[in-house]
Amino acid sequence: MTGVEIVRTILEEFPYALYGSIMVGTLCAFLGVYIVAKRVVFLGAVLTQVSVMGLALTFLPLFPVPHTLGSLIITLGTVVIVSRMLTGKKVPKDAVLGIVFVTSIAVRILVMQKAARVEASEIENLLRGDILFVTPGLFYLMAGAFAAASAVHLLFFKEFTYISFDAETARTQGFNAAGWEVGFYLIAGVVISFATHMVGDIFVFGFLVIPPVAAMLLVRRVTGIFVVSVLIGLCAPPVGLYLAFLFDLPSSPAIVGVASVVLAGAWIVSLARKR
Amino acid sequence: MEPVIRFTKVTLGYGRTPVLRDISFEVHAGEYFGFAGPNGAGKTTIVRAILGTLKPLAGTVRVVMPSGSRVRFGYVPQRDTVDYVLPYTVEEIVMMGRYRQMGILRRPGEADRAAVRKSLDHVGIRDLRGVSFRELSGGQKQRSLIARALASEPDVLVLDEPTNGMDLSSRISILDLIRQLHSNDRLTVIMVSHLLDDVANHVGRLAIVEKGFFQVGTVEEVLTGPNLSMLYGMPVDVRRVGGRMVILAGGDDDWR
Repeated sequence: MTGVEIVRTILEEFPYALYGSIMVGTLCAFLGVYIVAKRVVFLGAVLTQVSVMGLALTFLPLFPVPHTLGSLIITLGTVVIVSRMLTGKKVPKDAVLGIVFVTSIAVRILVMQKAARVEASEIENLLRGDILFVTPGLFYLMAGAFAAASAVHLLFFKEFTYISFDAETARTQGFNAAGWEVGFYLIAGVVISFATHMVGDIFVFGFLVIPPVAAMLLVRRVTGIFVVSVLIGLCAPPVGLYLAFLFDLPSSPAIVGVASVVLAGAWIVSLARKR
Repeated sequence: MEPVIRFTKVTLGYGRTPVLRDISFEVHAGEYFGFAGPNGAGKTTIVRAILGTLKPLAGTVRVVMPSGSRVRFGYVPQRDTVDYVLPYTVEEIVMMGRYRQMGILRRPGEADRAAVRKSLDHVGIRDLRGVSFRELSGGQKQRSLIARALASEPDVLVLDEPTNGMDLSSRISILDLIRQLHSNDRLTVIMVSHLLDDVANHVGRLAIVEKGFFQVGTVEEVLTGPNLSMLYGMPVDVRRVGGRMVILAGGDDDWR
């Protein structure tokens, strides 16, 4: 296929793959700045695995709800519990996240063994998410959720950044820091849950970490970091999709690969600046 | 005169575990008050109760201006409690002090920007307003956090270990700045420090804090050799050198 044919194929036959991956890429890249700043990068990986576990549980007769709803319920329930544990001091943060991470994977494997309704390979495909087969219904449902999450973050940008920078002083000024923290994690939970269902865990976790870190290497202003991170989240998915078609590659890893190349470039630029 | 802060038989702690029991003290408007004591003694716990972020397990905490209005605190936390990952500029950080006045969903207006400029001028770092906070020296960071507290137009300035980890000149410079804010601007100041020299030569009254020990009074009443020797479990002597109080620990007989 020529370049023009690839672009035409993507736009005509897989438009929701293109728009969906851009939507997930930009929002994850935005939320990822907070996640990296709060030093809870592992939380991104954990929530993607919890979301996948939630999806897997919907294959059991005991939890007969739609896949997306099941994933959302399990993810938000975990967020409420984990966000309380993350602010406590008895158990280290990384230990809490590690326990949830490994438990989610173990539960998923057990469920896949026992889910009799469908083949394990079908479950595995659903759990991994496939950008190319995003349906219009799923896309619009996600778009609504993502629009709401984006609006909350843009409206309360100063509150979220203040709590992230210095929760203790914010609390002395009458801000309900714990409430804002839980609010942040709930929004992240919704986004990660929906996004994982749509594009898979590799894509979601990759875009929660790679664009923010690349932006931090390139830019020396906080607003600039958010802008550059979002730009990477906006541009890497279409380029990755194009390359996936061109070289017959799986789409999610190709998109994450493009973001990683941008990160490598950012690292080289930051090294050159120091000299 | 009614005190701004009054603790009456207050017990403080986390969960159900008391850290300090039955403490009582008052801080009056315009006073420079200190909390001193070893690390982990519970000084920050008292500050949290003053600021209203920690509820007492028992007793009464009354915090109200003589006019009856609510006390506005300007809080300067320990420098290592803030996030250094994102490169906030000094101006952005000082603007955070205005967020309470701004209210929810509002963006900074001209009044907020003017208050930020005034605060930066006040602490002498206007030229650093565009510099990233994480690139500053310890003293400059402390000035930035003090400017943020001032931007909130406080009635009471509360500083938690403001000179911790600083070199001598930065330490003296910050202590002078705090003294000016107290004497020139008539701010009520509460300073927490484990550095007895800082407290001894700057505050008017202080409380010595240690688990199971709480004593309030003037510097001369509280910072005595026997008191401090008991508190730290070693010989401590208090002398005056050139008009300044000097605290000598460890039983250096040559000095005696």
